[in-house]
Amino acid sequence: MAEHHGSVSDSKHKASAANVGASFSGNGRTSPVANVSSGAERALSTGLAQPAGWQSLLSFTILFLAWLAGFSARLFAVIRFESIIHEFDPWFNYRSTHHLTINGFYEFLNWFDDRAWYPLGRIVGGTVYPGLMVTAGLIHYVLNLLHVTVHIRDVCVFLAPVFSGLTSISTFLLTRELWNQGAGLLAACFIAIVPGYISRSVAGSFDNEGIAIFALQFTYYLWVKSVKTGSVFWAIGCCLSYFYMVSAWGGYVFIINLIPLHVFVLLLMQRYSRRVYIAYSTFYIVGLVLSMQIPFVGFQPIRTSEHMAAAGVFALLQAYAFLQYLKDRLTKQEFQTLFFLGVSLAAGAVFLTVIYLTYTGDIFRLLYTCYIPIHIPIIASVSEHQPTTWVSFFFDLHILVCTFPAGLWFCIKNINDERVFVALYAISAVYFAGVMVRLMLTLTPVVCMLSAVAFSSVFQHYLGDDMKREIPAVEDNSDDDDKRNSGNLYDKAGKVRKHVSEQDKAEEGLGPNIKSIVTMLMLMLLMMFAVHCTWVTSNAYSSPSVVLASYNNDGSRNILDDFREAYYWLRQNTDEHARVMSWWDYGYQIAGMANRTTLVDNNTWNNSHIALVGKAMSSNESAAYEIMRSLDVDYVLIIFGGVIGYSGDDINKFLWMVRIAEGEHPKDIRESDYFTPQGEFRVDKAGSPILLNCLMYKMSYYRFGEMQLDFRTPPGFDRTRNAEIGNKDIKLKHLEEAFTSEHWLVRIYKVKKEENRAPLDHSPRSTITNKQKYTSKKVWFALRCDHPLWVV
Amino acid sequence: MLQRILQSVAVDRRIVPLLKRKKMYLKVLYSLLLVLIFYGIPSTGQKKKETLLSEKVGQLMDWTGKRSVIRMNGEKFRRFVKAPPRNYSVIIMFTALQPQRQCGVCKQADEEYQILANSWRYSNAFTNRVFFATVDFDEGSDVFQMLNMNSAPTFIHFPAKGKPKKSDTYELQVRGFAAEQLARWVGDRTDVQIRVIRPPNYAGPLMLGFLLAVIGGLAYLRRNNLEFLYNRNVWAFSALCFCLIMTSGQMWNHIRGPPYAHKNPNTGQVSYIHGSSQAQFVAETHIVLLFNCAVTLGMVLLHEAATSDMDIGKRKIMCIGGICLVMLFFSWLLSIFRAKYHGYPYSFLMS
Repeated sequence: MAEHHGSVSDSKHKASAANVGASFSGNGRTSPVANVSSGAERALSTGLAQPAGWQSLLSFTILFLAWLAGFSARLFAVIRFESIIHEFDPWFNYRSTHHLTINGFYEFLNWFDDRAWYPLGRIVGGTVYPGLMVTAGLIHYVLNLLHVTVHIRDVCVFLAPVFSGLTSISTFLLTRELWNQGAGLLAACFIAIVPGYISRSVAGSFDNEGIAIFALQFTYYLWVKSVKTGSVFWAIGCCLSYFYMVSAWGGYVFIINLIPLHVFVLLLMQRYSRRVYIAYSTFYIVGLVLSMQIPFVGFQPIRTSEHMAAAGVFALLQAYAFLQYLKDRLTKQEFQTLFFLGVSLAAGAVFLTVIYLTYTGDIFRLLYTCYIPIHIPIIASVSEHQPTTWVSFFFDLHILVCTFPAGLWFCIKNINDERVFVALYAISAVYFAGVMVRLMLTLTPVVCMLSAVAFSSVFQHYLGDDMKREIPAVEDNSDDDDKRNSGNLYDKAGKVRKHVSEQDKAEEGLGPNIKSIVTMLMLMLLMMFAVHCTWVTSNAYSSPSVVLASYNNDGSRNILDDFREAYYWLRQNTDEHARVMSWWDYGYQIAGMANRTTLVDNNTWNNSHIALVGKAMSSNESAAYEIMRSLDVDYVLIIFGGVIGYSGDDINKFLWMVRIAEGEHPKDIRESDYFTPQGEFRVDKAGSPILLNCLMYKMSYYRFGEMQLDFRTPPGFDRTRNAEIGNKDIKLKHLEEAFTSEHWLVRIYKVKKEENRAPLDHSPRSTITNKQKYTSKKVWFALRCDHPLWVV
Repeated sequence: MLQRILQSVAVDRRIVPLLKRKKMYLKVLYSLLLVLIFYGIPSTGQKKKETLLSEKVGQLMDWTGKRSVIRMNGEKFRRFVKAPPRNYSVIIMFTALQPQRQCGVCKQADEEYQILANSWRYSNAFTNRVFFATVDFDEGSDVFQMLNMNSAPTFIHFPAKGKPKKSDTYELQVRGFAAEQLARWVGDRTDVQIRVIRPPNYAGPLMLGFLLAVIGGLAYLRRNNLEFLYNRNVWAFSALCFCLIMTSGQMWNHIRGPPYAHKNPNTGQVSYIHGSSQAQFVAETHIVLLFNCAVTLGMVLLHEAATSDMDIGKRKIMCIGGICLVMLFFSWLLSIFRAKYHGYPYSFLMS
């Protein structure tokens, strides 16, 4: 299996490298021609259509192979396990896509889900980015129209791998606009297999990011195209692509800030042109209107602070254009007075705004937005929201992370309008990726592009020279290519190229030996990259996490299917309207697989509700029972990894439950109570007594003390935390064990109904006399108040 | 004083039902006598205590007026904190701020503590129920001995009544010394809610303003020659620096604040590379930054070797230097990565 993949990506790399050589040699050679390009040469080059045909065939082949390699590298999970939806969020997406295909689009938009967030419910239609579901639904519809009958689940599973191919094509297009075709092909190959993107787009990971990266890259491509051409056509295309992006992922905010930033920097660099004006004005207006069509986004684009930069730049651009216009019409004297008046007015307005913002304290909020998540427990508890270590950078990008600064260097050295864009893209994305691990995803495409630029600049000179004499035909064709891509914007780069061309004679002096050594070593690096990507994909990113696998000493594999076992049990053995309480991580899975009502889920919109569940888990049994009664809980589901050593279980997450509960109920829950006096979190005898008697602990370790896993360890030995549990004699009063899966991974408890009227002591009855009548009534009343269901 | 009066009122309340139930005048007289005794006998001591207390509170208020954290030595501690007539809580930070003690944590904790005390001192809800004080080891080492303490900083709450319990000692290890955490703890212990108000940090904006002024000044001085703004090397170099800083995980360092390197206390061996892939040392990120930088430099050199117009010998050296930089530092980086990421199978040149 792995070998197969390796060979695919390797062959692709060889192909790409070969092509890079070809196209680059072309570029290097022909640039002098391009520099003095005129109509005559254009005519000449069109005459030699044959090599151009070869080149595009090669490009098509490479792109196709990149798509194929990207697709097949993402299939590890499907082949090892089965075609199944992974993890947590995809289950919700799958469930809503299912709803969409069964009930139709409008029903989906109006869907009120009463099975989530009991008793609050959730308005799904208005709180999701529908792009993903609509895309999958559409594909399913079209396929069924063609009588290709596939289940919607398979469409969902394979959507992200298919879109990765589209991503690599749009990356190719964007890089071609920025640099040249060779770099574009290299970038397409990089993005097809780079782990930073595979992490979010393996088969089965049916998530927004899978299609959003395609939309992101395509929007950027169309934006660069519209800046280069200044045509409304491309700008409208950009808006439509932006609309798709807004419908698909909240990360569209990145676009709506990066594009204005690009325009702003262009203004600062005095690179204003009519093309920029047309492109941005069209994009802002149409894009704004389109983005407001998504119910979840609504009026945010004109309200919230993260969209204000776009509006500000729009106003600035209009003012600038207006000044340019006036400049032509007015005398210099008039213009100067007008200009100073305008500038002082604008400065005054800005000053007042800043004063106002400072006064209300908003400015600090604006400045320190990136720090806020760290202080909120529910956000901090998600591992994706952590800052990024260098290891994760290297893990996800390998050689690319070391070489992309070189590409950035080349881009800035030969700057033009669109390279300004890619430089800004790189700098902003690298900042965000540093702050939060999950934003590595937005960094990955630009790193691929810039690394491709770096590698292709090297290959251009080290593969090229030998080709010059051998393939003279390529030379002519790519001049055509060059002109087609660059238009009139390549003037700056052209100067440098001219430089290069003068070197041509001297260049031969480097000698074929050095050149071939450099080429070989560079190819070796790329091969190592391909191998690394395959290894990472296979080992780190291809686990469905719904089904676990363990390996025996002899290499044979055990499938641990406890999750689905338990969810299926719930589905078959409980009442259809039973309410299941669990920690929010498992909400989507319970809803998706067990089809039961949940209290909280991964859409963490209501912190106090989550805190209530956390409080129930961290209180003692009777206090928890009160909460569970008030929330109408029928079953409690927990994940316990102590038997097989699964580290992502609820006891390891427990401190977050306590923290979140403490945030809302500081009087009842205190984090420090769950630590030993030395400040440790321990489950053994030395652990704090409050921990040893809380509901989560009791449910996790109920009857675990009777179980001896092997002969070396005492009974009740927790393999995850490597400790013998401290409370082996657990008695449950209000709960009873309903189900425990094969490896004890999932445990389900039934919440007992209130017992029949508690047997009254004899004493109050016997002492009912005339005098005591008043008191006895009160007792009865109190009972009634406490348990309203009892009476009804 | 107040407590005394409360006590006597309680006695009175107890008397009223007695009156109703028993209706015995003798008893009433007796109880009246009792009340008189209660009022009469301790009155001299009472008054003394009352004046003593008000004196103490006045003194403390006076000090708090001057400095929001009262500095105490052994004698003051015994008088105001240990000695019985009290109706106020005292939060004390035991610390060692003298430079020769070399307590870095103490300084940070002290800053947070000052913020907390100031928030309390200047808040609207300020009363004489809680006082903030500090005892430095070099001024009141006898206090440290008395309380049997051997670590600093320590925060202890001395309640108005009784001795400090276990939970009156702040769990520094668990909760950290952020002013907000301290405020919550104080709120728990004394029911005095303090809203921590951090003084806005003017250093950042000031520095920024200063920087802008310098840049503006330079630009003004060199207004005839603004070419340097158009120098692509400067811009490219700063962009590169930013990228390298970010990709080497300096943001992680900034947020998490790891140590520079780890020194094994037993062997004295210093390790610069953290053993786990989940964490990193500052030194390690600097190394990685350098390595990334070297690989980038190698790529640029390779490119320059092919394009620049220097003589061929130099270019050959550049070319070989470039490829060596790329290969050497990349494989070195790979080996560091391999050491951290256990189970990673690949290596190149060096393992």
